[in-house]
Amino acid sequence: MLGNTDKSAIGFVIAALVFFFIGGLLTTVVPPLVDKSWSKPFENEDPSKGPTGKLRQYTELELKGRAIYVKEGCWYCHTQQTRTLLADTKRSGWKGVDSPISTPDEFVYDSPHMFGTKRTGPDLSRVGGKYDRQWHRTHFRNPRDLTPGSVMPPFPWIANDDEQFNALVAYIQTLGRAKNWRPDNDYEK
Amino acid sequence: MPEQGQRQVQVTRATPIGAVPLADSIHEDTTAKWFLLSSVTYFFIVGIIALTIAAKFVWPQLLGSVAYLTYGRLRPLHVNGMLFGWLLPADLGLAYYVVPRLCGVKLWSEKLGIATAVLWNVIVLGAVYALPAGYNKGWEYAELPLPLVALVVVAWVMFGINIFATVATRKYEQMYVSLWYTLATILWTTFVYPTGNVAVLFTTGTNQANLNWMYVHNAVGLIFTPIGLAMAYYFIPKASNTPLYSHKLSMIGFWSLAFVYVWTGAHHMIHGPISQWLQTIAIAFSVMLLIPVWTVVYNFFATMKGQWHQLRDNIPLKFLMSGVVFYLLTCFQGPMHSLRSVNAIVSKTDWIPGHAHMALLGCFSFFAISGTYYVVPRMFKTKLHSDALANWTFWFFMIGGLGFFVTLWLGGFWQGWQWNNPSIPFIDTVKALKPVWTVRFFSGVLMFLGIATFLFNILATVVNSGQQTARTAPAVTA
Ligand code: HEC
Ligand code: HEM
Repeated sequence: MLGNTDKSAIGFVIAALVFFFIGGLLTTVVPPLVDKSWSKPFENEDPSKGPTGKLRQYTELELKGRAIYVKEGCWYCHTQQTRTLLADTKRSGWKGVDSPISTPDEFVYDSPHMFGTKRTGPDLSRVGGKYDRQWHRTHFRNPRDLTPGSVMPPFPWIANDDEQFNALVAYIQTLGRAKNWRPDNDYEK
Repeated sequence: MPEQGQRQVQVTRATPIGAVPLADSIHEDTTAKWFLLSSVTYFFIVGIIALTIAAKFVWPQLLGSVAYLTYGRLRPLHVNGMLFGWLLPADLGLAYYVVPRLCGVKLWSEKLGIATAVLWNVIVLGAVYALPAGYNKGWEYAELPLPLVALVVVAWVMFGINIFATVATRKYEQMYVSLWYTLATILWTTFVYPTGNVAVLFTTGTNQANLNWMYVHNAVGLIFTPIGLAMAYYFIPKASNTPLYSHKLSMIGFWSLAFVYVWTGAHHMIHGPISQWLQTIAIAFSVMLLIPVWTVVYNFFATMKGQWHQLRDNIPLKFLMSGVVFYLLTCFQGPMHSLRSVNAIVSKTDWIPGHAHMALLGCFSFFAISGTYYVVPRMFKTKLHSDALANWTFWFFMIGGLGFFVTLWLGGFWQGWQWNNPSIPFIDTVKALKPVWTVRFFSGVLMFLGIATFLFNILATVVNSGQQTARTAPAVTA
């Protein structure tokens, strides 16, 4: 069949598209049909099955903060996924508690998704509640004041603008909180 | 299929230089000229952005108080500028040159082509404004705002119509490999690009990420790879004046690429919040990618058999064959990183930009630079301004490129190793990479000199040709 596709442009076009669509459809359209957890928001009331909690929609303020996170390209340096690696659960965790692994049902209301690909900075999938507002304010003004050696850019136009700053911090504090993973509820505000 | 007969076809087809000296004069090439000259110019401009973001890793306060020059806004400008301002339009320009020659006819419509080039420039300038201003859709490689996306689709259809119509009116029945790859790029991109830019809008979370990765991976695999290989298949035989080793092998390479590539998107989410079985499929197909890659590379090496001495002073060939070696290496790394054990170390580290630049700069940009150096003097019916300078371009890119790739691999591997030991504080792994980022910056300076000499050489060639045509008849160079 393929032997003659170098002579017939029509035959070529059909074959090239058929090949493409087999893999294309099986890997994009089919998986969400098979795997319902991709679209069902996280909800768990049974502590024996892991952290309890419920994924909720973002508020308007949080969405504004999320838009800033997208616009300023925070996601080129920060991922939002605790992978199925022991080291990830240790690194995304804090104050001695390990982070639960990220699951698709925690991200159902995310668009654009912010999973990220590069960790120039640490993973942020469980950073919600790790630091208080004052810490973030100082950090955005100049990260090196809090963490010498950091290569995170300063964001003075966010730190000095209460509207943007409040929105962004409101968003950051939601990260990873659908799963109520801290036994002592020791989240900062 | 009689291999011998096939090769005979290639001799006349791929090397009409001596055989049909007047054939070239039927081609106007205005479209190709516009595409190539604008893409080389953007290469230079975006090169400045590249250096700026590389510098920000070394001096993080640099330009830090200016919102539209912050890292998070310049990085997408760098990536989109290089991909859609330099590499893709350079490949399109070369396609407008190559396709009519392989079909033995004029480009179907030079007017449509020029309109496409103008529209493309509008898109790039739109991006240069939109991205620093913060209009970013939030998906990698698909940052451009929707109005620009719509223009890209229109430009793509204009390009597609022109090329398909040229092929439909072709004189030679058999289509050479470069034509299949070009046609396939047009077809696949028509679906891949809207998946990453439009289909994602109707999904969320993991489902959306899966579409996004299908796009990102296939932007490289089904846009830049096939159009780049189309050019390599044309220019390697041309620049070395040797027929392609095997037509049949090129078909195997093509159809295995067409089948395997599209399955691999989920290898960007290995260990991540996405179904394990989908990760396994992506891994299996990533390993299978070795088949198309090795067939293609074998074909190129076999073509060069007995011709390697030409590498000493044939500059387009130097770029081409180094590009082939980088292609082989990149596509060896790819399947390796998709293995779960290796992925646990290199994923999310600086290894990945090392890998991405070897593919897009070391391989596909090398092909495009080579093609540009080859066709510009021919289109303007003159000689290259300076062969010595072109040789400098090569060495700047080669040394800068190797410095860039190798330090990022070493650094990235080390970084991943440290991350897997959670007792090392994160910030220590940042500080550990500082020497690596410094070397990357200076390697970037070398590559920028490569870009600058390239731009100067091309512009000087064009200017010289303008002065020459007044005085002499066009020189026919082989
Ligand atoms: C150039 C890369 C880069 C960009 C862009 C960037 N960051 Fe960072 N970020 C880092 C690095 C490196 C660190 C670790 C050192 C530190 O704490 O500053 C960090 C740390 C952080 C932390 C603390 C994490 C922890 O667990 O200690 C938060 C929160 C954060 N960044 C948020 C943001 C936000 C919000 C943005 C966008 C407005 C952003 N970052 C943009 C590199 C970056
Ligand atoms: C002067 C030469 C160049 C320099 C100094 C440079 C520098 C950089 C830097 C610093 C990054 C960000 C890496 C990170 O996130 O850690 C980057 C990303 C990128 N660059 Fe370049 N670059 C150069 C040339 C090119 C060229 C020619 C291309 C393509 C044709 C290219 C394509 C990309 C892509 C696709 C990415 C994103 C990589 C990813 O997804 O991980 N770059 N570059």
